[in-house]
Amino acid sequence: MGRKSVSVALSLEQKNYNRKRMWIQAKKHKVLYLFMLPCIIWLLVFCYAPMAGIILAFKSYRFDLGIFGSEWAGLKHFKSFMTSPEFWVTIRNTVVISGAKIICCFPAPIILALLLNEIRSAGFKRTIQTMSYLPNFVSWVVVIQLMTAVFTPYGGVVNEIRKLMGLESVFIMGEKSAFYPLVIFSDMWKGVGWGSIVYLSAITGIDQGLYEAATIDGANRWQCTWHITLPGISTTIGIMFIMAVGGILNAGYDQILLLQQPANMQISQVLDTYVLQTGLKYGKFEYATAIGLFKSLFSLLVVAATNHLSQKFAEVGLW
Amino acid sequence: MKETTGQKLFNIFNYSFLALLGIITFYPFWYVLVASFNTGRDFIRGGVWLYPREFTLENYSLAFRDERILTSLGISVSATVLCCLSGLMFTALAAYAMSVKTLPGKTFMSFFWYFTTIFGGGMIPYYMVLRGLGLTSSFWLYIIPSIYSFYNFILLRTNFAAIPYELRESAQLDGASEWTILSRIYLPLSKPILATLTLFIGVGKWNDWFTGAYYQAKTELYPAATVLQKILSEATASSQVKVGQETTVGSMTSYTSMSLQMAFVMILTMPIVIIYPFLQKYYVKGVMVGSVKG
Repeated sequence: MGRKSVSVALSLEQKNYNRKRMWIQAKKHKVLYLFMLPCIIWLLVFCYAPMAGIILAFKSYRFDLGIFGSEWAGLKHFKSFMTSPEFWVTIRNTVVISGAKIICCFPAPIILALLLNEIRSAGFKRTIQTMSYLPNFVSWVVVIQLMTAVFTPYGGVVNEIRKLMGLESVFIMGEKSAFYPLVIFSDMWKGVGWGSIVYLSAITGIDQGLYEAATIDGANRWQCTWHITLPGISTTIGIMFIMAVGGILNAGYDQILLLQQPANMQISQVLDTYVLQTGLKYGKFEYATAIGLFKSLFSLLVVAATNHLSQKFAEVGLW
Repeated sequence: MKETTGQKLFNIFNYSFLALLGIITFYPFWYVLVASFNTGRDFIRGGVWLYPREFTLENYSLAFRDERILTSLGISVSATVLCCLSGLMFTALAAYAMSVKTLPGKTFMSFFWYFTTIFGGGMIPYYMVLRGLGLTSSFWLYIIPSIYSFYNFILLRTNFAAIPYELRESAQLDGASEWTILSRIYLPLSKPILATLTLFIGVGKWNDWFTGAYYQAKTELYPAATVLQKILSEATASSQVKVGQETTVGSMTSYTSMSLQMAFVMILTMPIVIIYPFLQKYYVKGVMVGSVKG
């Protein structure tokens, strides 16, 4: 009993001492806190304040009363979103576009990296890399403008070729059926070269001795790729895959906004574009906030689930 | 080592496939460049694929005389420059403070920075904040909301943390203040990463059309990328009307506006192409550092 209370007293003293020391330390570093201050204020204003603004999703917003003064609406906006015809359409479009991007655009940089890795001529390799990185640096607006120029029926190169082949020229960018192929194609065109960098740098990290040993044992290049290179970059592939799947509800809104037209609205409206349309165009702030919140929570769930599964089966995880 | 027939075939396939890929990524840029130096009337007849047939500088002089384009370019340039400067300054200050090992409350602060990357308020509450601050009708919309980004912060902090701690300690013994240590030791030692960040921020700002198009209320404050988007969507809307009919009436305006657009696209792309060698050198490094160290 006596010993116990002594040790309690001691640890209390220790605690007080630690707190004091920390305070002295903190005082000594006060300039550093001052250094952080602008960014802390920035985060509070532009990240944490919008988080507080989420309560808008549970309110009936009235401009004159403000966010906090407006009346509570409970889950009304969530219910009305989930029962609206747009719900399944936007969810479907989002998942279809993201899914197609994952299937088509996710493996592309890996394949490109593997092919580039097989090139022996350094000059050729560098030229191809230089060319394929360029689209990553230009704006989506420029990309769409380039596409319009190439695909236009007024002197565009694709339609000229079609004419030479005896086909009639078509307004490809306005075709509803061309929307998904254009989204996927342009995404791949813009991102494939840049995406390959991560894998190329992972390939450089593989022990060269493995290749030498395998060649001595009579393995050909294909076998080396299959048994050494691919397993060597599998962790990188895994992490990139989790991130891609985690962003499944993102679908790349700035690209889609630019390709969106009245003709393809039924298949191009994704969650983010719907939020922008209802919120900023029609001014239904609380409804749009509810959709945004629904999306954030669902995304978080997807990331956690993928992370859990991949940790279980592939022993790769973000955390 | 002798190559088998299969390997030779693979090489032929590989070289031609990659060459094709290079052409597909590069050609659209070349095509629009050619179009921008060709007269619109001639271009619309088709067949101008590899070099200008009727060379002209008219499109560019038209673009540079256009009030709307000129103003927007001015806004884009000043936004890019200011954003780079303020972004670097504030990120460097915070990253330096967070790289000091003995700073009390560091764990809590790390969480404070990190949490914003896993959860956010979404676009509408963010917009309400911007509007509440009066940014939605101001030039500062392009600067203040983008002075900080988690990715840049982490990149810089990782780099600062790798600088030997003894340098800081010995400078402190000599009586140097935190500001002196940052500006005389840490920043000069981090020049490559600062270059990377400048490019990250600058390219991102130059290319950003979304902020202008959705958050900016005043059309005269649109940056160049947004103006290009507006021109594009106007052109698409009008061409949809025209596509059914024979376009003889009004085609004069449509083809000059198209060539003008091509010139504008090139004006927006050129700065990127000019700094491209630096982009490749530093940007690639930045991506690798980011991917290796998480």
